Amino acid sequence: MWNSFYDGVVVIVCVNLIAVLGMSVLTGFTRLFSFGNAGFMSIGAYTAAICSVQFHLPFVCSITVGAAVAGVMAFLLGSLTIRLRGDYFLISCLGFGECVRVLFNYTRNLTGGANGYSGIPYRTTGIVALMCAIFAFVIAWNFIHSRYGQAFSAIRENEVAAAANGINVVRYKKLSFVFSAIYAGWAGGLYAHYLQYITPGLFNIGKSSELVITTVLGGLGSLTGSVLGTLIVQLLPEIFRSLSEYRMLFYGIAVVLVILLRPAGLLGYKEFSLTGIIRRITAKRKVQNSEGGSKS
Amino acid sequence: MSEDRQEPILEMKNVEKHFGGVRAIDEFDLKVMPRSIYGLIGPNGAGKTTIFNTITGIYTADNGQIFFQGKDITRIRPHEAAELGIARTFQNIRLFGNLSVKMNVIIACNMHAKYGIVDALLRLPRYRQVSKETEERAMQFLEIVGLTDKADDLASSLPYGHQRKLEIARAMATEPKLLLLDEPAAGMNADESLELVEFVKRLHDTYPITILMIEHHMDVVTNLCGQCTVLDFGKTLAQGTVEEVKHNDAVIAAYLGGEL
Amino acid sequence: MKILIQQMITGISIGSVYALIASGYALVYSLLDFSNWAHGEVCMLGAYCCFMATMVPKIPFALSCVIGIGGAALISLLNEKIAYRRIRNNGSPNMFLMIAAMGLSTTYQNLANVIWGSKFKQLPKIFSVMTLNLNGIFIGTTDMLCLGVALVVLIALLLIINKTKFGLHVQAVACSGRTARILGVRIDRIIALVFMLAGALAGLAGIMYGMKYNVYPTMGNVGLKAFIASVIGGLGSVPGAIMGAILLGFIETVVSGYISSGLRDLISFSLLILILLVRPSGLFGVDVQEKA
Repeated sequence: MWNSFYDGVVVIVCVNLIAVLGMSVLTGFTRLFSFGNAGFMSIGAYTAAICSVQFHLPFVCSITVGAAVAGVMAFLLGSLTIRLRGDYFLISCLGFGECVRVLFNYTRNLTGGANGYSGIPYRTTGIVALMCAIFAFVIAWNFIHSRYGQAFSAIRENEVAAAANGINVVRYKKLSFVFSAIYAGWAGGLYAHYLQYITPGLFNIGKSSELVITTVLGGLGSLTGSVLGTLIVQLLPEIFRSLSEYRMLFYGIAVVLVILLRPAGLLGYKEFSLTGIIRRITAKRKVQNSEGGSKS
Repeated sequence: MSEDRQEPILEMKNVEKHFGGVRAIDEFDLKVMPRSIYGLIGPNGAGKTTIFNTITGIYTADNGQIFFQGKDITRIRPHEAAELGIARTFQNIRLFGNLSVKMNVIIACNMHAKYGIVDALLRLPRYRQVSKETEERAMQFLEIVGLTDKADDLASSLPYGHQRKLEIARAMATEPKLLLLDEPAAGMNADESLELVEFVKRLHDTYPITILMIEHHMDVVTNLCGQCTVLDFGKTLAQGTVEEVKHNDAVIAAYLGGEL
Repeated sequence: MKILIQQMITGISIGSVYALIASGYALVYSLLDFSNWAHGEVCMLGAYCCFMATMVPKIPFALSCVIGIGGAALISLLNEKIAYRRIRNNGSPNMFLMIAAMGLSTTYQNLANVIWGSKFKQLPKIFSVMTLNLNGIFIGTTDMLCLGVALVVLIALLLIINKTKFGLHVQAVACSGRTARILGVRIDRIIALVFMLAGALAGLAGIMYGMKYNVYPTMGNVGLKAFIASVIGGLGSVPGAIMGAILLGFIETVVSGYISSGLRDLISFSLLILILLVRPSGLFGVDVQEKA
């Protein structure tokens, strides 16, 4: 029986998937680390919620505005910080995410402060979330396989060589950052219209690092890996309800093990595809056949 | 047009670059004429790669000016240099290691791929058309360096010599007017460097490019370069045709000495 | 005025606790070019080790402290031996070290939660209730103790780095691991020792922090503050980290005292971003130009 429990699981998986896809483009393909994406999620969530409640905008518009505002914020932040080297960029993102959280806690008139913002209409049903997730995946897939995504990979592999081949490193990094923020904002907006009640605490550093962990587990540089990662991270706790206390402990250990044993993640730099698997199996057979042939 | 030909394609005037107290290059002058092959020679640490880095905008010169086709490019940024038509290879090979051989070249070809972000996100016909063309062009460049059959391999899995060739293919794929080669024959034996000489000659004949190269192998320089500059500790020791330089006393004393 | 002085001293005192942790970040960063995100959790585990020791009867508090510090050093060393060293030897990019550290941090935090629960644990407060009254300026004795111990330890640390053979080796490896190896420095050993040293400092900081604010699984988040401090000072610079930490502690106290304690983090993070915009490598960091 399809009931609201399964509907909820679908929404949770899909919403997280959208945020993780953004993270995957940023971290997996461009190798930029952000611990601030929960901040962008909260910007998207609050903006969309306010649009729906205060201005009675239709659902689609609210979500779009939420994602757009997150994107604009990322553009502004990125203009300032994208040139910073690795760890410095990371800590500035983290700082931004925390600032956003504290600010939402403080603007009581607008966001309800720490008590949260309630009365958001319930719009994100399972089917809406699923459609959004599929759409998000297709768009991200196209993006990654276009010259933009190829430029991201080039930057990841070697910044100096990328620039020498005409790639404006700063511009593309910023583009990747904005893209991931839009996805985070999108996810946040959907989430708000599922929960109907949001608090700043939902989008803390823990949420940011959960996004990073999911991306790493699934595999850096693989969108299908991110889907797999999201399924694992979001579904396992639903299946093993009794072990929910140990959930984050397992993920922590899993991340360490993955980095030690399979550094690129479960599907690092590879996309899962049926044709690819079929091709590999047939190729192996060919090799075996030809080996057999040469022996005889 | 014929007057244009007299203008140097690349001119460096009095260029200086220091790191801390070290003068990596000092009062460096250079004129490279269009369609020529020009050599930069000198021992390790003479500042040759620094010159490449100032031309391509990785470093900014502390003093002096650099002109490319008459345009001041002293304060250019690396990707702008590529867009203007300056391509380069690196002494310590810098490929996109985890990407396929073909993708390495496609990324360079993308500089001329004309489609917008909306085309890409929605896979509009324009995107399909352009990316198909880009892929075909990339394969052409792979054919020139003879790596067509390795197109789907990872760039990092190629043997050393092929990696050097792939770097050249990638540089050529940006359709440069000026190609900077940083020690293309490094680590090659006599046969391989002979093959390289032939390859560079063919490249130079097929495409309307000017080549500026750093090289240690004197036979490669003698075979390819019309003019060359000898550097030592950031200073110019001699400038002229290869024959002139070979017989320059300062050069013989400082560097070439026993080799000739 | 008196209140300001009082708060300055409290600020410097909490800053000195940050400084103990921040210098650990700086030491590891100077050698390995990565931010050891698990460092805050090492600090937390050190505090728990100390707490466990105080539960055993007949162990004096001083010995518990030593156990806490030793435990933290051991855990820090284990991190290096089990995880970081292997990743370095794999030739993986530096980012993977950071991810592993993040994984370790998540693991430890939740492990502590599973073992000890999320409730606050109290370390014995040696003379907690006392406040010194210096001419109308009130200062907690715990604050004074922290400040005093931290100052002595930090000065000792700077002396170790600048005056001893070990410190010279550390600086050599920081400059160039490869050259140092060729010159006969056993760099894996140096790195292991540095991890132990950093862990011990973090353990000490954990005990101090625990004495002030109790011991709990998420107290490792103080590591985040220390990380910010080391970024402000410039990653990889121990004196920079110490200065950054004291600056941060000072600003935090003044902001909570005069503006609002809720805005404390907002202001310190904004300050962080501002400093990075003006000096992209922190106050004492060196701008490195990548060699092409």
